[in-house]
Amino acid sequence: MSQKTTTEPPKEKAYRKLYTSKLLRETMTLHILSTKTASQNGRLVWVTSGFPVEIPVAFDTVAAYPEQYGAIVGSEKCGPLLCGFAEELGFSQELCSYARSSIGSVKKPEQSPLTGLPIPQALLACNNICGTVLGWYEAVSEMTGAPVYLVDTPPLEGDQPPHHLAYVKSNLEGLITFMSETFNQPYDEEKLLQVADLSNTAVNLWTKSLEACKNKPSPLNCADRFLSMAPIVALRGTQQAIDFYQAFYGEVKERVKQGLGAIREERVRLLWDNIPPWFTIYNFFNTLAKKGVVFPADSYTHAWSANIPRGEALESIAQVYSKIWLNKGLSAKIDKMCNLIKDYELDGFVLFSVRSCKRYSLGQMVTKEVITRRTGVPGVIIEGDMVDSQQYNEAQAETRVDALLEMIL
Amino acid sequence: MVKQSNYGIGIDVGSTTTKAVLIDSTGKVRARYLLATGASAKKSIQRCLDELVSQSKQDLSGITMISTGYGRSQANFVSKSVTEITCHGIGIHSLNKEIQTLIDVGGQDSKVIRIGSNGRPTDFELNDKCSAGTGRFLEVMAQVLEIPIQELGSLALKAKSPSVISSTCTVFAESEVIGRIGAGDTPANIAAGIHKAMAAKIATLSQRVGVVKPVAVTGGVALNPGFRFYLAKQLQTELWVPDEPQYTGALGAALLAIDTHE
Ligand code: SF4
Repeated sequence: MSQKTTTEPPKEKAYRKLYTSKLLRETMTLHILSTKTASQNGRLVWVTSGFPVEIPVAFDTVAAYPEQYGAIVGSEKCGPLLCGFAEELGFSQELCSYARSSIGSVKKPEQSPLTGLPIPQALLACNNICGTVLGWYEAVSEMTGAPVYLVDTPPLEGDQPPHHLAYVKSNLEGLITFMSETFNQPYDEEKLLQVADLSNTAVNLWTKSLEACKNKPSPLNCADRFLSMAPIVALRGTQQAIDFYQAFYGEVKERVKQGLGAIREERVRLLWDNIPPWFTIYNFFNTLAKKGVVFPADSYTHAWSANIPRGEALESIAQVYSKIWLNKGLSAKIDKMCNLIKDYELDGFVLFSVRSCKRYSLGQMVTKEVITRRTGVPGVIIEGDMVDSQQYNEAQAETRVDALLEMIL
Repeated sequence: MVKQSNYGIGIDVGSTTTKAVLIDSTGKVRARYLLATGASAKKSIQRCLDELVSQSKQDLSGITMISTGYGRSQANFVSKSVTEITCHGIGIHSLNKEIQTLIDVGGQDSKVIRIGSNGRPTDFELNDKCSAGTGRFLEVMAQVLEIPIQELGSLALKAKSPSVISSTCTVFAESEVIGRIGAGDTPANIAAGIHKAMAAKIATLSQRVGVVKPVAVTGGVALNPGFRFYLAKQLQTELWVPDEPQYTGALGAALLAIDTHE
């Protein structure tokens, strides 16, 4: 006869926490502290996520990422408040919520998480992700007095023609002059090549970690990747990024070796497209984890996986940063997503239509049709935003994803 | 009362109405009920269940129940919740196996579903963000015209030359209708224009999924002859409508309940 126990064993969570998340927190906290010191020392730059950050790093400046700050604002659930500050200044609700929350935090740092990003000495924008960044940085420039430099990368379809490469390279030469003058330091090509090497090492470790998700069960879920990508965005070109990704990839390999998945019971494997809704990231992915749904791949975190080829430094950088997906048009993105579905053996896909980010979300209806036609797997579009939670309705998103699961299971 | 374990109940908790269906294991409907969801979904669910008991004279305890619709999680005593997408697919397939595309227009949402071979959806589009293309659009317009909503559709069929209502947005269309009244258009012509605008909106939603024939229409708005006429014209196809189109989702849920039970 079985004996009745009085204490129930603790219920196992549907997902497994990464032990390197502690190191991640430490790495990013140190980075935030270093941006504060850099600002005080007159060596802080703000950069956009697709900016060739190796150049400012080679000039011994520290880079802060307003988009990453936007993710913090979203996670802290104060998006509507900070966006509201920017709207009070006359910015439209249609403007990207990363831009709105960033402008809002510059206006009222005392009411913003971490009292906002430290004041920069230069604002470095690259429009390979979107055109919004220029207007956004100009607005911040008006408020802080920091000058803006734009690296202009005209959209690219297919291979890069020589005149395109030459044009982007000339923009980088302009950047070198701008950095030398602003920070009173000469350009050192050898140093830039060293930084590029460090960047490549971290990118390789990151890419290997992502590719390990081809395993079944997948060692990482969407939220794991979205959080652990912080150093590849903010610390590319530094030893700190390499140190973190060595430990991170180590944990990923260990999980694969032991057959441990990111979630306890993997039943359905899906692809995620776009930035996540930061304000509900855990809730969203962990609720699905309880239903056995894992996302071994997404179109977003794979964006930081290009290596800077050895050669003439500026030319190599011009090549890599012109060719990021967002700058290459819809068909390149669709091809990439179809390949991810095949390579990672996924059963379906979720396209998150982000109200803020027209550049990333445009064309999702056609994308959905084409992906299903090519791969045979079903998908859904859910609507919302990454920071502005007022644009997201949980029940509507849930109905769509549940209907997708009912089609698959 | 006789207790039946081989029965199934489907409850469709929609934003406007709650529907419940009791079926036996052959799929025959034994009882059904519909009422306005109102402020409390829980209360309307209970009312529906009470009605099923009194109509069927069955003890419902122990019968498998599945809930669906936007308020499906409110019915916390059911064995399972299934989305309205799947339930409508299963429901329409049981009524007519030929149907390839289902257009469901409810009080506050509309959906288009491609039906797979076993009734399971293979693709869908949902409009639950905007009242354009839903029953609510017609209600607002009927109020402006001061005509009971039940008469709006048949009035539209009497039109000689439908008014042009170019906007499918409820707010903009409302001011257009007021403008048409001011310009002296007849109520019938205006009613026709309203249904044409509504049909255009639904057709756009349908095109996203692809309109494969034969096409069925369900939901409360399917009872409106004016809407059926203009939608058929817009999609250039005949439309099949079940006898009681509002119950399709609840029926699908009840059929799934029988499956679960078996
Ligand atoms: S619009 Fe999109 S790409 Fe541009 S900054 Fe905002 S989120 Fe990034």
